[in-house]
Amino acid sequence: MRHVVLWLTGWLCPQLVFAMSVVFINPGKSDEVYWVSAARAMEAAAKSLGVSLQVMYAERDHPKAIEIARTIAARTPALRPDYVVFTNDYGTGPEIMRVLDEARIKHFMAFSGIFESAVRQKVGLPRQQYSAWLGSLEPKAEEAGYLTARELIQVARRAKAFGSDGRLHMLAVSGDRSTPTSVRRSEGMRRAIAEAGDVVLDQEIHGAWGREKAAEQAAWLYQRHPEARLIWAGNDLMAFGAMQSWRARGGKPGKDAWFSAINTSSEAMTAIQSGELSALAGGHFIAGAWALVMLYDYHHGRDFAQEEGLELNQSMFVLFSPTQAARFQKRFGNLDFHSIDFRRFSKVLSPQIKRYDFSFSQLLN
Amino acid sequence: MPDTHFRSIAQTLNARIWRWATACAMLIVLGQTMVSWQEVTSRFENELLDIQETNIPLLSVSVWDIEPKVIQWQLDNLTERHSLGFVRLTVESGQIFVAGNASLAQSKVLRTFDVPAPDRGTRIIGHLEIMENPGVFFRAWMQRVGVAVLAYGILTLMICVLVAYVLRRELEWPLRHIARFAAELTPDRLSTPLTVERPKHRHQDEIDLVVTGFQTLQQGLNRHVANLDERVRERTRELEEAMLSIQRLSQVDSLTGCVNRRHFNERILAEAERVGRYERKLSVLFCDIDHFKQINDTLGHLAGDEVLRAVGRIFLMQVRDDVDWVARYGGEEFVVVLPETGQAEAMATGERLREILASTPVELAQCPIPVTISIGVAELRTGESVNELLARADTALYAAKAAGRNRVLMARG
Repeated sequence: MRHVVLWLTGWLCPQLVFAMSVVFINPGKSDEVYWVSAARAMEAAAKSLGVSLQVMYAERDHPKAIEIARTIAARTPALRPDYVVFTNDYGTGPEIMRVLDEARIKHFMAFSGIFESAVRQKVGLPRQQYSAWLGSLEPKAEEAGYLTARELIQVARRAKAFGSDGRLHMLAVSGDRSTPTSVRRSEGMRRAIAEAGDVVLDQEIHGAWGREKAAEQAAWLYQRHPEARLIWAGNDLMAFGAMQSWRARGGKPGKDAWFSAINTSSEAMTAIQSGELSALAGGHFIAGAWALVMLYDYHHGRDFAQEEGLELNQSMFVLFSPTQAARFQKRFGNLDFHSIDFRRFSKVLSPQIKRYDFSFSQLLN
Repeated sequence: MPDTHFRSIAQTLNARIWRWATACAMLIVLGQTMVSWQEVTSRFENELLDIQETNIPLLSVSVWDIEPKVIQWQLDNLTERHSLGFVRLTVESGQIFVAGNASLAQSKVLRTFDVPAPDRGTRIIGHLEIMENPGVFFRAWMQRVGVAVLAYGILTLMICVLVAYVLRRELEWPLRHIARFAAELTPDRLSTPLTVERPKHRHQDEIDLVVTGFQTLQQGLNRHVANLDERVRERTRELEEAMLSIQRLSQVDSLTGCVNRRHFNERILAEAERVGRYERKLSVLFCDIDHFKQINDTLGHLAGDEVLRAVGRIFLMQVRDDVDWVARYGGEEFVVVLPETGQAEAMATGERLREILASTPVELAQCPIPVTISIGVAELRTGESVNELLARADTALYAAKAAGRNRVLMARG
């Protein structure tokens, strides 16, 4: 009965002061498909759960994320949110945690986790040194790298893209050196190569997640490594940049060179269906929405600490087949995730759930 | 002092300092130029070494990692930090990066570095060309020479100002004061002491020596002037004495000490005039030594002189001081002039003189010889001339001689 009342209140008047309020410090740009998808999914979840959500974009300007945390901390107590969801992109997490913990604002890290041991020493475990840090939810980034690389190798093998030494030559365009997600994806890629045995990684470079830089770098790389035919990319934009350079040299992506990408942009969905992309993984943008579900349960007395742990590293990625891509476009092509009923995944609202299932594939079925 | 343009010592000194300083500055510029050239050359070599050891490995990484922005930043940094004119990086895949002054792009390539692939042995992934930069030497030179000349110039200027100040204060003002004092010094102001007002100082300097010397000179002059008056007085007195002596010599017979004939002629006229004017008496005794020619001939002229000297001495002793006087008239003749004396008194005086002479032999070389005289006496009559008087006395003398000598006779009326 209590839940019904809560639900009714949240549904009827979400903006009321007693509604649970959350701020999401979005590290990406407000026109960047991945981070907009993440925000839209969180908004859908917030609406579904009756949570008041405010999304603030750092526009990929790293110090700005910390600045946003400071402005939140500087708010009068009445205007402060109950929770802040933030990421550890470009290593800004520890400072955001320090600022928010000082202001006694509860915060939750999503999309990324604490990765480097030096940082770990600095911040400790959740709810210890920074007692207001509730925990973290991280998509298994390594899985994305592994899934796309393995699929890419299989496609290239079938197409007999071997070099003069009888091996498959791969180029990798990863994001950057400091974001744990980037490093994990590369690790997955390397695991797939190690498993394959007939693949050589000619070079890995860092394209800073953007199309332009990746295109320029790819032009150099094709020149430098003429035998390379497999191009693994840490996200979709860099894959498209590399493809653009390949076309500029007169090549045909999917026919004489093979590309893989991560993310769920509509361009990527189209490309996997047309065959220009040989492998595509994505769906982890949903991590923010799952974080809201966890915080909702926490807010309503169902702490995740005992049943799930404080720092969750969950499998979320799905390797899109052309069929699944078509289905994704049909359901979420316009980045509207309101068709998902997030109450089904809340332990408070759906008491039959014993453990969270955060895989994206269940949203496609 | 010749009328030339005045120029103070300070000005002269400063002009010389400037001349020397300019010459030294020239030497400095020359030295600095050589040092700059060496420095720029060796610095450039060091820079190339530094580029080889530091920048090339970094470039190697950023070229391999395909970080165009980083590559460009490294090249910009390279040209900025090493003051290289222009660098060009050509990557094996064809891209070209440049940095620095584009106008030097065509200048001579000084050095080409191969950019190797990191950790990949001998693979070369690019070439870095360093262009010549002629401005570097000039800038380094300007910097060195500019700083040196500026510092040197300021130092010289400060020294000149100090020299001018010290000279003006310690030398020029006191000297000008002393010069003014000396120019205004007159004999009556000789005793005014020279004082130069100067700030207190512990040691004596040249100015103090000059002041002390000047004061000594003043004191000496003062003493000398005072002495001079005394000596003028003394000399005047000596001169007067000499004049008197000369006068006496001109009036007195050197052998007998009696009035000589020339002075007798003048004086007897003055006596006669006074007798005429005041109606006084005047008598003369015309005396002659008896047998004087005989004494001269037998005993010699020296004995004759001695006799004359003895007769003169007795006459002068026996007449009244300041009233009567004796003249040597010539040869062995004497005239005794007796003012205020009538013929009776004159006769008595003549008699007394004859008796004394007759009773007093003249001592000649321990051999006394008897000397007698004959005397003619005459009293000046009213309207009578001196010559007439003397002629009457001479006539009386002649009569006395004729009457047997050693006697006194009155001239006839």
